[in-house]
Amino acid sequence: MGAAVLFSPQAHAASCCGGGSSSSLVLPKFSRAMVDVSFDIEQYDGFWNRQGEHVSDPPGSDLNQYRLNVGYAHRLASRWQTSVIMPYVWNDNSYSGLDTQTDGLGDTKINLWYEAFDGVTCVWKVRKPSDLKPAAYFGATLTVPTGVSPYDDVDNNFDITGRGFYRLDGTMLLEKTIYPWSASLLLSYGKYLERAVNREYGKHVEPYDKNLGDRLLVTVSTGYTVFLDSMDTVTYTLALSELQEDEATINGSIDSTSGFKKRSAALTAAYATMDRDWVYKVTWNHALDRDGWGENFPTTDVLTLGVSHVLR
Amino acid sequence: MYYAKNWLFSCGLVVLLGLGGCQDVTDDLSPSGSDQRPAVTAGSTGSQTNQQAPSFTAVDSLGATRTLAAELAMADGVVLYFTMWCPVCDSHMNHIRSSLVADFPNVTFLIVDYVTGSVVASRAAQLNNGYASFTVLADVDHALFNAFNGSMGTTVVIDSSGMITLNEDYKDGVKVRATLEALP
Repeated sequence: MGAAVLFSPQAHAASCCGGGSSSSLVLPKFSRAMVDVSFDIEQYDGFWNRQGEHVSDPPGSDLNQYRLNVGYAHRLASRWQTSVIMPYVWNDNSYSGLDTQTDGLGDTKINLWYEAFDGVTCVWKVRKPSDLKPAAYFGATLTVPTGVSPYDDVDNNFDITGRGFYRLDGTMLLEKTIYPWSASLLLSYGKYLERAVNREYGKHVEPYDKNLGDRLLVTVSTGYTVFLDSMDTVTYTLALSELQEDEATINGSIDSTSGFKKRSAALTAAYATMDRDWVYKVTWNHALDRDGWGENFPTTDVLTLGVSHVLR
Repeated sequence: MYYAKNWLFSCGLVVLLGLGGCQDVTDDLSPSGSDQRPAVTAGSTGSQTNQQAPSFTAVDSLGATRTLAAELAMADGVVLYFTMWCPVCDSHMNHIRSSLVADFPNVTFLIVDYVTGSVVASRAAQLNNGYASFTVLADVDHALFNAFNGSMGTTVVIDSSGMITLNEDYKDGVKVRATLEALP
């Protein structure tokens, strides 16, 4: 189950226009801070093997993970913002011959974003070329291994809530809204920091150095915003994501049993109050249990319920 | 005032992370590479390397009874691999099958299924995952799981004298191969 923790989807939050089409915790322009709380319900539905073939879980299995994500974003300057997201994870796994329930803190993410624009870029009509300028964000994310990893003092793999490695991601987010439509592109590339390992699942072993492979995430999304009579909005967003991680290394040599790929689609409905101070979100992230949609990775559905409160 | 607030926010971040570090399971924040394997008493029985493997009797997924003593009598060594039929396990088992089995014909490879809970379900999982050619032990009562301190991907190598020469997570197969090549 440890592997599953790697992909905890971030709470979808308001970005430049407060519409909720972004895929990271991004503070809207001209806002002081934001609190974001979301709850993920992730259900496992087999996995893809290394050949990309989908394989079912053993009969009688019911494998779930729940995550409570608490995030806080804070404006540092007119173009700079930072945020932190801390998850708490519950593993609830039931096999025909084994039931386990464990919980613990997950891996923490600390973000720093630079906004390459000064004004709100959302427009109603394109009247001049500059109206086409997107909101561009450039970010860095440090993943801190605060979760319970295979290398901690654990009883077995069912305790795992984190990966055990620091990771640094560089991210670019482009977003454009021409009401009622919006679109975004997110590119993220991450490198793990090599670490020493002297324990696996609670057993001390001969020490070795391990590093996980580089990680690439590409997400494209399109959204449509409906304005209600009260001027509250509902934004529907469809996002497609491709996530892959290269093979790990053990003492500098490639571990050919590692690495993975996953493709998924997510549908989000975000309700925002007129002043965009409150955003309520529900997201369904679905991975197709078909051959070729992933490699060496669990197939899961994730339902996320979240709320963001923006402080002006 | 604005900078004071930012400073307070930064302090808050440090406190949050500090709280996380208070748990006794967050050694990952500052990993250690020191060798902390406990010393073992020669000739003692247990799950650690250089201990005598605990004897066991288990039922395979075809209903046949298997004992460690009988397996060791017919082979240079026995490899136990603990599976929960997950992607990581599948990747490991596939690697064992493609990279090790043919090179060590005098070694018996046994897959230990500790999650399905019955011989029938174990057989179904074995076939569903494409490992009909392997011998799968249905560890219904978790006797092997407990005796060898197993977990997902745990790999145990036992030589013909019954001594454990490896008990750790399967990785790239390099260490398992080296251990098997060193079998007497």
